[in-house]
Amino acid sequence: MGSDYAIEAEDLRRTYKARTGWLKPKRTEVEAVRGVTFTVGRGELFGLLGPNGAGKTTTIKLLNTLLIPTSGSARVCGFDVESQTREVRRRIGYVFGGDRGLYDRLSALDNLRYFAELYGVAPRDQKRRIAELLDLVGLAGREGERVEGYSRGMRQRLHIARGLLHSPDVLFLDEPSIGVDPVAARELRRTVADLAATGTTVLLTTHYMAEADELCDRIAVIADGRIQALGTPAELRHRADGRRVVEVEAYGVPESAVDALRGLPGVRETAVEARGALQLLTVHSDAHVDVQGDVLRELAGIRLGRVDSREPTLEDAYVAIVSAA
Amino acid sequence: MSLLRVLAVGTLMHVKQLSRSPFEMAIALVVPIVQATLAVYLFRSGGEQHRLLEAAVGAGVMGIWSSVLFGSGGAIQSQRWLGTLEMIMLAPRRPVLVILPITIATGLTGIYALLATLIWGRFLYGIRLDFAHPVAFVVAAVVCVVALGMFGLLLAATFVLMRNANALANTLEYPVWLVSGMLVPITVLPSWTGPIAAVLPTTWGARALREATSGGPVWPSVGVCLGISVLCLALGGLALTYVERRARAAATLALA
Amino acid sequence: MKTLRLMGVGGVIAYRALFNWTTPGMFVGTLLVGPLFQLLFFAYLGRQLQVADDRFYIVGNAVLTASLACVFGGTMAVANERRYGTLGHVLLSPRSRTAIFWGRVIPYAGNGLLIAVVTLGVGAALLGLRIPFGALPGLVLAMAAGSLACGFFGLTLGALGLRFRDVWVVSNVSVALLLLLTGVNVPASGLPGWMVTVGHYLPITHAASAARQLAAGDGLTAAAPALGQELLVGAGYAVAAVALLKIFEGESRRRASLDAL
Repeated sequence: MGSDYAIEAEDLRRTYKARTGWLKPKRTEVEAVRGVTFTVGRGELFGLLGPNGAGKTTTIKLLNTLLIPTSGSARVCGFDVESQTREVRRRIGYVFGGDRGLYDRLSALDNLRYFAELYGVAPRDQKRRIAELLDLVGLAGREGERVEGYSRGMRQRLHIARGLLHSPDVLFLDEPSIGVDPVAARELRRTVADLAATGTTVLLTTHYMAEADELCDRIAVIADGRIQALGTPAELRHRADGRRVVEVEAYGVPESAVDALRGLPGVRETAVEARGALQLLTVHSDAHVDVQGDVLRELAGIRLGRVDSREPTLEDAYVAIVSAA
Repeated sequence: MSLLRVLAVGTLMHVKQLSRSPFEMAIALVVPIVQATLAVYLFRSGGEQHRLLEAAVGAGVMGIWSSVLFGSGGAIQSQRWLGTLEMIMLAPRRPVLVILPITIATGLTGIYALLATLIWGRFLYGIRLDFAHPVAFVVAAVVCVVALGMFGLLLAATFVLMRNANALANTLEYPVWLVSGMLVPITVLPSWTGPIAAVLPTTWGARALREATSGGPVWPSVGVCLGISVLCLALGGLALTYVERRARAAATLALA
Repeated sequence: MKTLRLMGVGGVIAYRALFNWTTPGMFVGTLLVGPLFQLLFFAYLGRQLQVADDRFYIVGNAVLTASLACVFGGTMAVANERRYGTLGHVLLSPRSRTAIFWGRVIPYAGNGLLIAVVTLGVGAALLGLRIPFGALPGLVLAMAAGSLACGFFGLTLGALGLRFRDVWVVSNVSVALLLLLTGVNVPASGLPGWMVTVGHYLPITHAASAARQLAAGDGLTAAAPALGQELLVGAGYAVAAVALLKIFEGESRRRASLDAL
């Protein structure tokens, strides 16, 4: 094979061009990925973590041959993703979240048979392989039903079975747990962990922190089309070392109050997240400065809920990284 | 061998997927029967009562063309809407092996139209199904369907490059019926349409079926139909390779 | 006046929002070139089989071509509203539904008229049919009547779409049936009696026969009865559409199936 890495990405860039309107066509360019470089070792479980629109899906599609990079290059199992597509495709599986991408009026079994044939599973192995996978994703017994009657979780599991048909060396999982209920999501994580344990390289994109924290050997935090931080979950957590976090639930915080918080001595970052009528204020500060008193003073006169001061988590590290981008 | 298997399994699955759509089936069965009814009364009004079987077959062939035109012309677009386009293009196969089963399936589901018009003609109008060459008719029907499926591949590959492919498909239904002489060979057409008719596989497919129905040499027409279609397949295959590359560059495989 | 404005402006906005075929390519291809080929198909078929003369086919089919835009347009006016999930909002409006939905028909009918006129002009020029100059105003009138009747017919089909899932099957089949039953392509004398009877209750049938009389130079007085019948058929569908919309609206509110696709 000649390559120690399952995935090598070098300064990948991708620009989307769009044309809108027919009377006065306007051309717009969007730089979705702006120079992404990383490597994933064989058998590694690697996470791409970032907010929506950060460039995660684009990065995955550049690596799995669905998109051609505007510039830069990438190799999967040592093969160039732009020119050696068939070699790459033989070795990869691709699973994306959501419930599209299946033939609704066919049964799960027919869907798998069809893709087994397309993905080059040897005819004599197909039956056994399909049965194995139906078992693995817990669809055994329901495989004869048409997919149109499947729940979202079942479709998602069928997606995974399809992605694994040809026992790929590298599996790309694009937000696999989107819209899946918590129990199913947990099973999904177990399946992914098992795959990695048996030597499959997995590249996972997600915006669920816990998922990335639990599963990934290493995580790249991507925002704004660039990798903002890369390391093991523990290393990323260190990004928030020397910090303390105050969380305040509040109702109707004006913008000016948030700005005032930002100006307090010792405060590094603030973030506001709307949760229905409630706003969750997160204030990062230097660990040795207790800012809770100052914060509450600034918020005087505003209706408050729970107030909490705690050690930073991976999520706080993530917030710190993304908001610094 | 493995190639044939990919094509066969793919075709079977797409035929299943298409045949289970109530919409597709209703259109495939009802519209051709209406057309056939129209053809029967036209033939009767024109004093051609003895050619009613030809009218039924002709209306069925018109149905096959509609199925291939709309099905194959929109094959790539409909896979894109289903969200399956990316998944099938990810197969480590030549694009032609992935798309050809879809277009052949549209030809095969077109056969429903032919069967429907024949059964309808038999039972409602008492049209006797006495084909001049029954065996040749079956062979010609199969060849016609596969050939139009190959022609469909060329449509699929070229239509996807056009911004207004749907409009083009809507435009091409009647002229191909007309120029190919599907219902009746039109001798009163302007002479410049002759060369166009000669290069369309639909002309030869319809002709082969007509010859098998009411007498004629059949096999030469079958041969020409197949020959033209194989050429279309080759052109379509080349076009598809280009289309795939372009789609990866322009990010049009997924539904935006 | 306000109601007129609701019908006019609301109709045009709904047309732009709900009609899928307004890009230039789609419009020219589907609604101008397609119908022209349809006319040529039947005209040549008629010549080949010697069923009727060019005037019969060209004038009849030109009137019929309006049906494509009108039937599909009328269907889209209601069905796409449901597809985009906006139907509930429209029905919540306190304004008269009758005015809202009738207003939607007007742009489609205008569209159909435009198509019919273009098809007639180009078809006649291509096949060398002479139409007396004096017959033109009457012809436009006949085509307008046919288009309007067809628009209301389409709206009726669209209303059925509130109840039935596959409304597009209905409109596709209807367009095919109009080819057969309106007597545009097979002279009424060649059709069985029951088909002719059904045809009398369909749009286009009377407009086409009026247009043929006019093109033959018979004058407006001769064509007036047929024109009147066409308008009557159109009015019938206008009432039917509104009645169906009322019934199905009430029904879907009871069964909460309004936006369930």
